[in-house]
Amino acid sequence: MSDARHEVDERWILRTELLWAFGVGVFIAAALGMILFTALTISVNPPSNVERIDPKALHLSGEFAEHNLGTTVSGDGTVIVRAIATQFMFVPQCIAVPANRRVTLRFASPDVIHGLLITGTNVNTMVIPGFVAQVHTEFTRTGDLLMPCHEYCGQGHSEMWATVQVLPENRFKPGSDGRISCAQR
Amino acid sequence: MRNVDRLCLAHFWVAFGAFLFACLIGTWQMWVRSPLGANIGTPGQYFMSVTAHGVSMAYVLTTFFIMGFGYFVAVTALNRPLPGRLWAWAAFWIALLGVVVTIIPIGLGKASVLFTFYPPLTASAWFYIGLVLVVAGSWIWCVLMLVAMSAWKREHPGQPVPLAMFATVANAVMWLWTTIGVAVQLVFQVIPAALGLVQTIDVGLARTLFSWTLHAIVYFWLIPAYIAFYTMVPRAAGGRLYSDTMGRLTFILFLIYSLPVGMHHLLMDPQHGNAMKFVQVLLTAFVAVPTLLTIFTITASLEIAGRLRGGRGLFGWIAALPWERPMVLATGLGFVMLGFGGFGGIINMGYGMNAMVHNTSWVTAHFHLIFGGSVVIMYFAIAYEIWPRLTGRDHMSLAPLRMQLWLWFVGMMVMTLPWHWLGLQGQWRRVANFNYADPIIAGWGPWVVVSLVGGFVLLISALLFVRNLAVLHRGTVVAVPRALYAVAVHPPKRVPAALNGFGLWNVLVLVLMVLAYGFPIAQFLIEPSPSAIVHRVR
Amino acid sequence: MTMSQSHERTPSDPHVLDQPWRLWATVAVMSTVLMGILLGVVVIPVVQGRGAGLDAFTAICRALGLLPGSPAQPQPLDRTPPTPVSQVVWTPDVLQILARADIAKGRAKVQEVCIACHGEAGVSPSPDFPHLAGQSGAAIYKQLHDYRTGSRVHPQMTDVAKALDESTIPDVAAYYAGQPQRNLNPVTLAESPRAIVNLIELGDPSRNIPPCAACHRAGAGGPIEAPVLAEQHAEYLIQQLKLYASGQRRNDVYARMRLIASRLIEEEMKGLAAYYRAGFR
Repeated sequence: MSDARHEVDERWILRTELLWAFGVGVFIAAALGMILFTALTISVNPPSNVERIDPKALHLSGEFAEHNLGTTVSGDGTVIVRAIATQFMFVPQCIAVPANRRVTLRFASPDVIHGLLITGTNVNTMVIPGFVAQVHTEFTRTGDLLMPCHEYCGQGHSEMWATVQVLPENRFKPGSDGRISCAQR
Repeated sequence: MRNVDRLCLAHFWVAFGAFLFACLIGTWQMWVRSPLGANIGTPGQYFMSVTAHGVSMAYVLTTFFIMGFGYFVAVTALNRPLPGRLWAWAAFWIALLGVVVTIIPIGLGKASVLFTFYPPLTASAWFYIGLVLVVAGSWIWCVLMLVAMSAWKREHPGQPVPLAMFATVANAVMWLWTTIGVAVQLVFQVIPAALGLVQTIDVGLARTLFSWTLHAIVYFWLIPAYIAFYTMVPRAAGGRLYSDTMGRLTFILFLIYSLPVGMHHLLMDPQHGNAMKFVQVLLTAFVAVPTLLTIFTITASLEIAGRLRGGRGLFGWIAALPWERPMVLATGLGFVMLGFGGFGGIINMGYGMNAMVHNTSWVTAHFHLIFGGSVVIMYFAIAYEIWPRLTGRDHMSLAPLRMQLWLWFVGMMVMTLPWHWLGLQGQWRRVANFNYADPIIAGWGPWVVVSLVGGFVLLISALLFVRNLAVLHRGTVVAVPRALYAVAVHPPKRVPAALNGFGLWNVLVLVLMVLAYGFPIAQFLIEPSPSAIVHRVR
Repeated sequence: MTMSQSHERTPSDPHVLDQPWRLWATVAVMSTVLMGILLGVVVIPVVQGRGAGLDAFTAICRALGLLPGSPAQPQPLDRTPPTPVSQVVWTPDVLQILARADIAKGRAKVQEVCIACHGEAGVSPSPDFPHLAGQSGAAIYKQLHDYRTGSRVHPQMTDVAKALDESTIPDVAAYYAGQPQRNLNPVTLAESPRAIVNLIELGDPSRNIPPCAACHRAGAGGPIEAPVLAEQHAEYLIQQLKLYASGQRRNDVYARMRLIASRLIEEEMKGLAAYYRAGFR
């Protein structure tokens, strides 16, 4: 192999690698660009609410005391769901939410790490003792959805799930105190 | 240069023994949680099994294989005896002691916390102490790899370190950085809690420290497979490595970008805001780069081989490749699985999509496919390639080897593809038994059974793998020495210090870790999270 | 990638080879991470904050987790006054107190007060009064405190608990916890009914019932106050399950026992009570 050909080959190899690397760069930029674009235009975010709360005294605090759990519609119309994830059930075990309205869900754990998702929706969060987990969403379809605990929390993890009842507007009627529970069937 | 034969074999047999055990109980787990095994086994047994399976596959198979392979490379690539062989044996025994100390509490049901052991669920202290011992053994290995490379560089001033060793040491350096997170978590948080010295634990900090290790560890597992891609596959295919420089760059990119990205495992966690989550997602995109570069470089290397063997036309070289050789076959099958698994990884990275799949079966499917599939199939290929060199006996026939690789590939695809689908449907993970009477869950049943079939195929493959290696110990065919490592098309005569050592890269890793993990960890030290009570499993 | 290196075919001063790498690698890596920080810490929160009516500083603080709330959404407020069901909080202090309890003092108090109904060894003569031998210290502690605060109500226990000295409660709890369990009047189940064993080991996912063993078996890693059920009077267990089911007993934090008990049928309650009475753990 002559020196000149050796040079060309080596440079040629380098060029092809650089060309491919450029293509890779474009792909990476596109993926990141999409994430950035959706973040800036429609606020697609991972859950971003860092709110500390003492897990040991959770049932003593106002917000996550037993009587305050469930769905509440405040005066200005915001729908807030508060639920506890504990070994081994969600409290309340059935949550009523309206369709096509913005809903804020707030979870806390008094004991170990739990997690939850709501099937067919974008609700997915870990529940870490010491922090309030908050997600915002809008339920688009009515019906009953499954909300299982998806992080190992002990021997009863497999039986830990709740139901989310998505009610159409005409059936979502909170009481005078702003609270609404699941419709009995 | 055979002073490491027994050392390597000892490591490999521990690794593959743990692997076979884990395959057995993994198959049981799949059966028990399928519609076919309803009401068999208790959650206690199931979660004990999952803990043992995870610890065996994620900590024992990997660490011991990588250590053994590292000693082999240090001797054969550098052509000199291993320095500190007694230290290597000490490391082996310390790590093995660690395995025993960990597995006993698991078997007694005192450590059903899974291989991720997220506090406040806390196991017997011995479980964690055993893991610390395994890590300690691996740290000795890291030091020996660095010492071996330095000694060689002193004897060959100015020369490029052989790529296989350069990559092995990159892996060792990365492992030292990686284990800091889990070591701090264990030593300062979890073990004191397990011993009863403290009653509470800062869960946010524990989870963050573990995430530091959790992503980088998968690259620790993956790099040996890539060492095979770059330094063994081109030779096995009868060609040359397309670019040695690209190889070095790939391993360096893994070293820098595997570490400051752990927070993408915490995207759905409430203890961090979206600012640092975004930063680490951006860095995660860059850790995809070395894999994408590798695909090009190795494919090009294979093309060289194919054309040298007479392949013509745009794709004719593919058929011309020597697919009857296990190393080549494994690469092809591995690349297919890498394609699917890597695509899944990109999905996980985008947090909008991550929200759809976090903690569902998609995640289980992803890491079984990419680690259990593409990485472990290369572990098989490496073992097949170097076993004759360690035992002096060659395979009588390559057919059982190819059969085993095909079974692994088919089993893995059949097991994991339905799992991906189930994850998208919302099937959640780490569950001992599903209520198949529920209409939503009933629809998943058939797919779970398909997955189970894949699992059985994998078990058969695992048994065949162990058999293929075991027979060599009593084999009759004497191994003929042949070259192992690939030569580059343009072997480097000089490389810059940056591609021959890790001084610069260590500094950059430090800077990256401070910028990416500094604030997320410091926030817990400035204002500790309200601590949670330890829940003891014993 | 440095193009200039490809023409270097003679050994050269290492510095010339290395410097561009040091420079460009640092530039590449630093610009990557700094761009990430600029976008993630500044650009995204500020732009999202504008849409949510937040100023830049608040939005950035939220994105970094220094303030609660998402930079893209207003934070909901809550002003509910607290009304807890049980005042017992498992803090490290309480756990320390339990660990340091004085068993001798506990025995003295037991001989004075508790012996009449619960027995000196924690074995009670009547199913109206639960066995306390070998019961979880944390469980006894919680129940006594709940009687004091009115979270749990019982015609006799309320007054007894209120009369106890605060410092004696952990001692009494530790004393009974240390008593050995003795299976008096053993009733052995020749064959435990499959349905009951399933409830205990597997729960019933269709009714959202976790396995009893997941909380009530020692070492399962469940709630700290979960009482030991083994060898307890069957009638007492059934009575408590019925009180939970009707909501009359309400000191189980977050209503877990109330929810579970309300889904059990009478036969199951009897079967579970018999299983535990026989001494299965």
